[in-house]
Amino acid sequence: MEFAKAPGLTKRWGEFAIETIIRVLGLSSIGFVVMIFLFLLREGLPTFWEIPLNNLLGTRWYPTFDYFGAVPLVLGSVLVTLLAIVIALPLGLATAVFVREIAPPWAREILKPVIEVLAGIPSVVLGFFGMTLVAPLVREVLGAPTGLTAFTGALLLAYMALPTMISVAEDALDTVPKSYRDAGLSMGATQWQTIWRVVVPAARSGVVTAVMLGMGRAIGETMAVMMVTGNAARLPLSLDSLFRPVRTMTATIAAEMGEVAQGSTHYHALFGLGIILFALTFVINLAAAATIFKKRRRGGLR
Amino acid sequence: MNKITAEHLNFYYGTHLALSDISVEIPERQITALIGPSGCGKSTFLRCLNRMNDTIRGTRVEGHVRLDGQDLYAPETDVVELRRRVGMVFQRPNPFPQSVFDNVAFGPRVLGLDRQPGQSLGAIVEQSLRGAVLWDEVKDNLKQDALGLSLGQQQRLCIARTIATKPEVILMDEPCSALDPIATLEVEELMHALRESYTIVIVTHNMQQAARVSDWTGFFWLGKLVEFGATQDIFTAPRNKQTEDYITGRAG
Repeated sequence: MEFAKAPGLTKRWGEFAIETIIRVLGLSSIGFVVMIFLFLLREGLPTFWEIPLNNLLGTRWYPTFDYFGAVPLVLGSVLVTLLAIVIALPLGLATAVFVREIAPPWAREILKPVIEVLAGIPSVVLGFFGMTLVAPLVREVLGAPTGLTAFTGALLLAYMALPTMISVAEDALDTVPKSYRDAGLSMGATQWQTIWRVVVPAARSGVVTAVMLGMGRAIGETMAVMMVTGNAARLPLSLDSLFRPVRTMTATIAAEMGEVAQGSTHYHALFGLGIILFALTFVINLAAAATIFKKRRRGGLR
Repeated sequence: MNKITAEHLNFYYGTHLALSDISVEIPERQITALIGPSGCGKSTFLRCLNRMNDTIRGTRVEGHVRLDGQDLYAPETDVVELRRRVGMVFQRPNPFPQSVFDNVAFGPRVLGLDRQPGQSLGAIVEQSLRGAVLWDEVKDNLKQDALGLSLGQQQRLCIARTIATKPEVILMDEPCSALDPIATLEVEELMHALRESYTIVIVTHNMQQAARVSDWTGFFWLGKLVEFGATQDIFTAPRNKQTEDYITGRAG
């Protein structure tokens, strides 16, 4: 027989081929990310020498007349995102606690997939829903001149960030050993006290990660925000600007990219916004990774 | 004086009968050891005494358990109050991932003991840590992470945490099975010290331990309490053949 060779002496070519393919695929996905990043830098960096700094740091974004003040847009993004997190955090945490700690098993089996499906609703659909239902509601309730406000955007973003936050926070609660709950209950703590003083603090780093990931999702969101925030590039400094239109970086890029000449200053400025956005998201993800890392290092007996 | 009495107690996991017809009287301020092979129901019985089995779905109890004559399974019994009076130390040390101080302060804070007149949280924590013979080892750094302590220290911290809530009964579920011999000795010495003020019920796999620390011993076998009596009698002159086989190592 041909096959009667001593095993282990011939190279396993099949194994080698598979390993090579996997390695190439893995490296190329890293390569793509690097190339996208380099492209972003190439197109965006010229902004910072083509446009004087005092113009960039100005408060007027009016590219037709060469005003490229990015501050209102950056603040607009930050405002809408933070407000979204302020709305989403209590809701998300409470839902995660309910799903993991309080709901009976059958309800958990239904809720978990439903929450994950929510993450799959296209943002343009949510934006449409926001325009036709949420915005008029906001206008009527607040008596504002328009319902297209930072607050409306934050509501939608909170809704979009929730599924991510809930599932990550729920996973974090799930990793808290039962022995902690037993210890709390056995000392005469109520279920609520055990959840609030033992389980949630023990899952703290996971909850922080959940918030960070939700934030990362919110700050990069474009379509829904563009549809409901009104897109006025005003400086959102006073408290009532929560209930006025704002414009985010993402919406600006999406709205204006179609009408700029390639290679123009305006074109570069939009990519410049992209760099700022990338930097913000990067910092947020880094912070999330750092909390995860800290948790791993902590280890200890579970 | 009997602190706890069980009367014809049956316990089910789903349809599986895990304890059948257990009747026993557990004396106050003494140490009672429950021995028997794995799966014989001794831990299940222990967890009936503070209703920790309530946290497991699909369990069911028949019969009565009384604490100072009051039925634990009566509908009007407040489980939270019951667990305050009947504390528990678990098999594996399970301190919270918090500081030593916060671990011990957990119970008093939750129960509001520190808000009672003449009580300060610091004093309760110190008293409890002294009670668990851990104070001298941790007093210089109460803010350290409890998970950084040795396992023996962690288990004594769990005992300190339990006595901080000022219970009347302490249930110990194989408290030394995750500990090395030295840490085991520490915990056993501690039990002797605690005997003065608390009624202690301990589940153990280790028959020498039962013989060393307890005043009373109960032998469980296949969900039944086969024999209960003074520890000395059980280990020197068991009345039941099964008990004798088990403690002499011929069965189980």
